[in-house]
Amino acid sequence: MTTTDTTLPPVHEYEEDTSRGQMIGSWLKGQYALYILVALLVVATITRGAIFWGPTNLTNLLLQMSIIGVVVLAELIVVLTGGIDISVGSALGLAAVIAAGLFGGPSVLLALVVAVVIGGIVGAVNGWLVAFRGLEPFIVTLGMLALARGLVYAYGNGIPITPAAASSFAAFGQTTFLGIPVLALIWLVMVAFIAFLLYRTVWGRRVYAIGSNKEAARSSGIPVKATLWSVYILAGLLVGLGGWMFLARFASGTSTAGNLMELEAIAAVVIGGAALSGGKGTVFGAVIGTIIFAVIANLLSLLNVSTFLQDAFRGALILVAVALATVQFTRRRKTDATQPAAK
Amino acid sequence: MSTAEQPADEGAQVTKQRQVAFTAVGVKKHYPGVKALDGVDLEGYAGSVLGVCGANGAGKSTFAKLLAGVETLTEGEITIAGFPHPVRNAAEAEQAGVLMMHQEPLIIDDFTIGENVWLYKLREGKDIRPWAQKVDTNSAETRKVLQGVGLGQLSTRQLARDLGPGQRQMLSLSRAAVTKHKIMILDETTASTSEEHFNDILDLVDREKKAGTSIIFVSHRLNEVFAMCDRIAVLRNGKLIKVLDAAGTDADEITALMIGQALKALARPAPVQTAPDHLPVLSVRDLHGGRAHGVSFDVNPGEIVGLYGLVGSGRSSVARTVTGQRPAVSGEIKLHGQEVHLPTPTSAVSKRVAYLTEDRRLEGFVKDFDNGKNMSLVVLPRMARAGVVNSGAEKKRVRELIGEYQVKGGVNTYTRTLSGGNQQKVVVAKWLETDPDFVVLDEPTKGIDVGARANIYEIIHDVAARGKGVLVVSSEAEELLSLCHRILVMRNGQIVGEFDPDHADTDDLIRTALTHQD
Repeated sequence: MTTTDTTLPPVHEYEEDTSRGQMIGSWLKGQYALYILVALLVVATITRGAIFWGPTNLTNLLLQMSIIGVVVLAELIVVLTGGIDISVGSALGLAAVIAAGLFGGPSVLLALVVAVVIGGIVGAVNGWLVAFRGLEPFIVTLGMLALARGLVYAYGNGIPITPAAASSFAAFGQTTFLGIPVLALIWLVMVAFIAFLLYRTVWGRRVYAIGSNKEAARSSGIPVKATLWSVYILAGLLVGLGGWMFLARFASGTSTAGNLMELEAIAAVVIGGAALSGGKGTVFGAVIGTIIFAVIANLLSLLNVSTFLQDAFRGALILVAVALATVQFTRRRKTDATQPAAK
Repeated sequence: MSTAEQPADEGAQVTKQRQVAFTAVGVKKHYPGVKALDGVDLEGYAGSVLGVCGANGAGKSTFAKLLAGVETLTEGEITIAGFPHPVRNAAEAEQAGVLMMHQEPLIIDDFTIGENVWLYKLREGKDIRPWAQKVDTNSAETRKVLQGVGLGQLSTRQLARDLGPGQRQMLSLSRAAVTKHKIMILDETTASTSEEHFNDILDLVDREKKAGTSIIFVSHRLNEVFAMCDRIAVLRNGKLIKVLDAAGTDADEITALMIGQALKALARPAPVQTAPDHLPVLSVRDLHGGRAHGVSFDVNPGEIVGLYGLVGSGRSSVARTVTGQRPAVSGEIKLHGQEVHLPTPTSAVSKRVAYLTEDRRLEGFVKDFDNGKNMSLVVLPRMARAGVVNSGAEKKRVRELIGEYQVKGGVNTYTRTLSGGNQQKVVVAKWLETDPDFVVLDEPTKGIDVGARANIYEIIHDVAARGKGVLVVSSEAEELLSLCHRILVMRNGQIVGEFDPDHADTDDLIRTALTHQD
């Protein structure tokens, strides 16, 4: 290509990349979730510091956030495509009860396979309807929410299902490695895995492209439907894994397993800075969102707040976070418009 | 302001008794990293049309936005005659009588044509009582307004969503007839309209001039600027270079001022070099799909074929069908003599076919991606191993591409923040990086200024010189006449004429596109 000998208007000199300090500065400006978390930790330290930072409580905290953490990752990849999955909670419940009940629940490993397969099937059905039938993700997963929860109740007749190998499940759930619960380690491995997929692979780039601008993605030869389907399947697999982790933690599949988990998952993803319109969001943000909700629940119980009020607190937090996100938006627009470039 | 380029308002000396409509003094607008406007003094007069010209990033659209109060200025002052203080925001500008016509027409798809005409009135809606007097959006007056912009044949009850891009723009312009204003800004308003609508715009501007409106016309198309304007202000790199009287200058002078030097005459492409036994790169027989009804043509290696037609003639349908953007209903497409099936863009990419869309914002690049990610979007699998991207190789390659195509802005700049010309360079780089055998460009210079335009033409010539087949779709006859080896003209979904650019002129093409006698 020889374009250098053309008579072009002088190209503006452009500062290639801003300095590292500026980059960190502008990054910090957008991290509202991080500030909420820090504030929460400060409150926790002041009010119940001794108990909160104690090893028992921290282990408990990690266990609490590991299951929802995996579900949040599933929600994140769906939200990145501009979709939403409100069936994650019921799908987790379904995976948990069937993994507990199928063949009587003889082994932890078999339960893992069953749970992941069940989750994968639910995700595949959701994804097929969304990607190839062009249906709204909200409606599809709303239907799936009711369907899966109904199956959960029908399967166990409302009675918790205890697998034959309940004791080995419980043992596994309490296993630690270097002092960290295995369940939390599974979560962290999944965090790294999803981050790798999103940031380092062609697939991840396509997910962001589809979420940001579906038409441009299609026009650029990206297989939009296949990619969308794969996203929902992967989300389903993660949710299935979450169901198995639930089983490992509580050693029984209750009919309320995963109840309302979709709300927490969506809230965590949004608090973490993801846009429900798609194309924007990070794994880091989603992890922070997960931790925030776990810390809040933990702190409220430490402060002896009634469980009913806890739900109200969680709802209030979502509203505050969303409001903060809009504050950030308008502030940025104002600075764009009024401040000179040089800083 | 540099002393070497002291702006001289030659036009101001011609007539004395002109009434000032707006005055801009020392206007500066700085964005992070960019001085979009750097001290501009400009006046507009009632009943007169001021053309604002400049290359990419010269600041002409920024000036229009500041005048309309859409953006806030960094320094300086814009006063509007009859308004007590400088305007600070869009609402005040509107009160002061500024009417802004944007490049993208503001049309609500789910409203009828009539409702769109009266949109501002409907919006006022201070009286929300259900029984309050409503604007009759289907009145005889509405129809008259529509006739005034050449849309008289449309029903006021039809939904705006069914209109073509040119018609949408005209519908948006029709609001000039129903709003009170003293200043009307046309910001690249003709970018999405084709030549057929331009006369309607001229009529509209004429009426506005008689009514004493001061009009600002921001445009890249110099022939239109000369047809419409009384005075022409030339901006370059955020500075006002000169204000000229339109009658006393010509396109060459303006172009030279815009780019700071004389423009080379557009080079004609080198003649096609083909082996005697060559197969056409693309061969289409009896293609049906969209608005195309039975289209047959060949594109030979090294050949640039132009496809001309009015809006709705089926030219874009052909472009989209042969590139897999929409499936063909019937017909045969052969690439290098082999019949291919192109149901999706994915299949076209794998067959080394590239399609550069006419709608850059919607299809050309990803909104939330920076230049680097947009440029590597299509070729990413080639920079990956087992699906894992080699980030180092990607970074290195896009950095090279930025330099090669002279894209303003770095790898990490969001493509959406660039000017039209630079956006198009990103899109061109993205597709040529796939090393396609056959390239289709739909309106490749839409919304692009002269400098970048010459650059794009050169790239197209270069692609053809390497033995690839090129199909250029355009509604600008002149563009095709200078760019192509051969021009096909479409009307009603069929090819109705074929021209050799050396033996044809604009009139031939337009006449064939409008009416064809067998």
